Amino acid sequence: MKTFFAAAALAATIFTVSSGAGYADDKVTLTYLTSQGWVLDAHSALYKKFEAETGIAIDAQIVPADQYYNVLKTKLNSGEGPDIFGGQSGVNTLVVDLNVEKNAVDLSGEPWAKQEDPLVSSQATVNGKLYGLTYWDTLGLVWVVNYNKAVFAKYGLSIPTTYAEFKAIAEKLKAAGVQPLYEPIADGWHHVLWFPELGPKYEAGTPGLADALNANKATFANNKDMLTDLTELKDMYDSGYMGQTAIADTYADAPAKLASGSVAMVVGPLAYATTIASQVPGTDPNNFGVFLMPLDDNQILNVNPGGPTMFIYKNSPHVAEAKKFFDWLTQPAQLQYFIDNAPQALTLPFAGVKGKFTPAQQAFMDTYKDKRGTVYQIAVNYINSQWMEIGKDITAMFTGAESPEDVLDSVDKRRAEFAKAAKDPAWN
Amino acid sequence: MNAISRRYPLYFALPALLLYVTFFIVPSVTGLGYAFTDWTSYSDQVNFIGWKNFQEIFSPKARYLVYIGNTLIFTVGTIILKTVLGIGLAVLLNEGVKRFVNFYRVIIYLPAVLPTLVVALIFRSILHPATGILNGGLRAIGLNAFALPWLIDPHIAIYSVIGVDSWKGVGYIMVILLAGLQTIPKDYYEAAHIDGANAWQRFRYVTLPMLRPAIVVVSVLNALYALRVFDIVFALTNGGPGYATETIATDIFKSFSEGQYGLGTAVSTILFIILLVVGYFVIRLLERGQARD
Repeated sequence: MKTFFAAAALAATIFTVSSGAGYADDKVTLTYLTSQGWVLDAHSALYKKFEAETGIAIDAQIVPADQYYNVLKTKLNSGEGPDIFGGQSGVNTLVVDLNVEKNAVDLSGEPWAKQEDPLVSSQATVNGKLYGLTYWDTLGLVWVVNYNKAVFAKYGLSIPTTYAEFKAIAEKLKAAGVQPLYEPIADGWHHVLWFPELGPKYEAGTPGLADALNANKATFANNKDMLTDLTELKDMYDSGYMGQTAIADTYADAPAKLASGSVAMVVGPLAYATTIASQVPGTDPNNFGVFLMPLDDNQILNVNPGGPTMFIYKNSPHVAEAKKFFDWLTQPAQLQYFIDNAPQALTLPFAGVKGKFTPAQQAFMDTYKDKRGTVYQIAVNYINSQWMEIGKDITAMFTGAESPEDVLDSVDKRRAEFAKAAKDPAWN
Repeated sequence: MNAISRRYPLYFALPALLLYVTFFIVPSVTGLGYAFTDWTSYSDQVNFIGWKNFQEIFSPKARYLVYIGNTLIFTVGTIILKTVLGIGLAVLLNEGVKRFVNFYRVIIYLPAVLPTLVVALIFRSILHPATGILNGGLRAIGLNAFALPWLIDPHIAIYSVIGVDSWKGVGYIMVILLAGLQTIPKDYYEAAHIDGANAWQRFRYVTLPMLRPAIVVVSVLNALYALRVFDIVFALTNGGPGYATETIATDIFKSFSEGQYGLGTAVSTILFIILLVVGYFVIRLLERGQARD
């Protein structure tokens, strides 16, 4: 009797497995391993539309951000990669973290490759071959100082273009009892923006600096512009412009603070006004304006052409389907759908799309059309990987435990560690 | 002794020994070996590099000495605070309080069963310098000078962490000490009372000496826990502000998450040696105490 049951159970299992296999033959499912925050609602909606049109399903497997690269690297190194995997573009990440020449399919010949903005596609290109599709608003996502127009108007302030002007504004606000700047240090990443985002300014001060840093022929230590940037950043903290509780403040509270006018400025993306209006009911998005981070008298737009990017795994059995998926995503209808439905995005880096910049945002971008450069976490190797450590250094600088020189020394030291670990020829 | 050896030959111990060697000794020694390599997540090669990782750790530029210092401050601070408060609460619950004794025991023990992450999140909001209820309460009763930036001032943060950890851990220590107290015969107190000893003298000359074995046990437990402390620091301050509350264990975690496996193993080796030395002396102390008894 026992044997009979065992045989019946076995037969049932085989039947289930084989019927499952038969089902899978009809329908391809592309597994997409990605990090938390890289799949927006508009992305998910597109995946469903793609499945409805082609019968190819997209199974997005979302991993918490802090573990993502460890999980991905383990899968890639053990030869069990997903059909599609995500990664931040940036040549350094592509080579060091993703090893795309070994793991990803060359997409240079795809029809959409020529439509993509060259500044963006160059960040997914290694040795002249394009490996990834950056389906993310990298051009509209510029980190700038957002300010409350009503507060500025009340105290008769105009936007600053130098640090001295910024300081004058901050002093006036402070004297009037308004916290000049909201700087959420508790998150660990936000206050770092003030430093590598001003890369274009450093590059203007020392032309060819990024290349020299990547060739290990220059250091962060003793760079005059970087030192000025950090010294002024510390001055902002020491002068109390960030309030007394900045170290405990979080970015999630920023929209409410800025909307209420209890603080006058906060660093956020260009489209931050839309976010504030969606989070704080009754807020007029037109009440917020933007200007460049004015440290070191910066007047060059900080563009970050890198962003979440999709790659096709070389050993995937479904390379053709994945290519078809990328091709479908980059059709004008899909691109426009994404722009219209993702509140976080103002545009996509493809020719012919209609962005949704407000006249003010468009005017801002136009002002800096010819004065823009690439941020240093993209232009310089081994900066993005130590972002949170730089954050700790800067916090230690704020509290007086370290000096601006120490921060720059630590950056150099960690770059050397990363470079040696990655067997970078420039360091060995 | 001899008779026992004859009855049970040495090879009876072999299976246990084999398991122990395979699952404890070999991995530990291999682990120590990796401390002398440049093993990272960026390369599939592992090379022997001698003492380089240790040179790096003890170089004056590195912050590891600060981390080791923080760990020791935390250890000493929590041992003192938890033991003193633990004894106080245990004595109170053993003799002082007459009603709802079990209720109080449960209340004081409760934090010990709460997940550390929950405790840390609650205390992060309680200790928030502007909106936290601690500073709010202090300001409400006019003690503005005591409303400190608990977790965000680098000079205070480590003591705030010690405070929170002691709040969470004191119930556990109290339970052990309470058990110790209840083994002390009542006759000793009666005899001391007849001899004219006051309450403090009874505590000093009867309770404390009789409680000594229990105090040694909780000190060992506290020390071994505190030297390896990770979760409460990670969740409360994440080692910050800056590096002001970074401990050895949080740094080991950081090294591993950065893919610096060789360096991380070297730091754990140092922690292992510290634990070994502390453990050895504490056990010696224990044995000496027993010999005297």
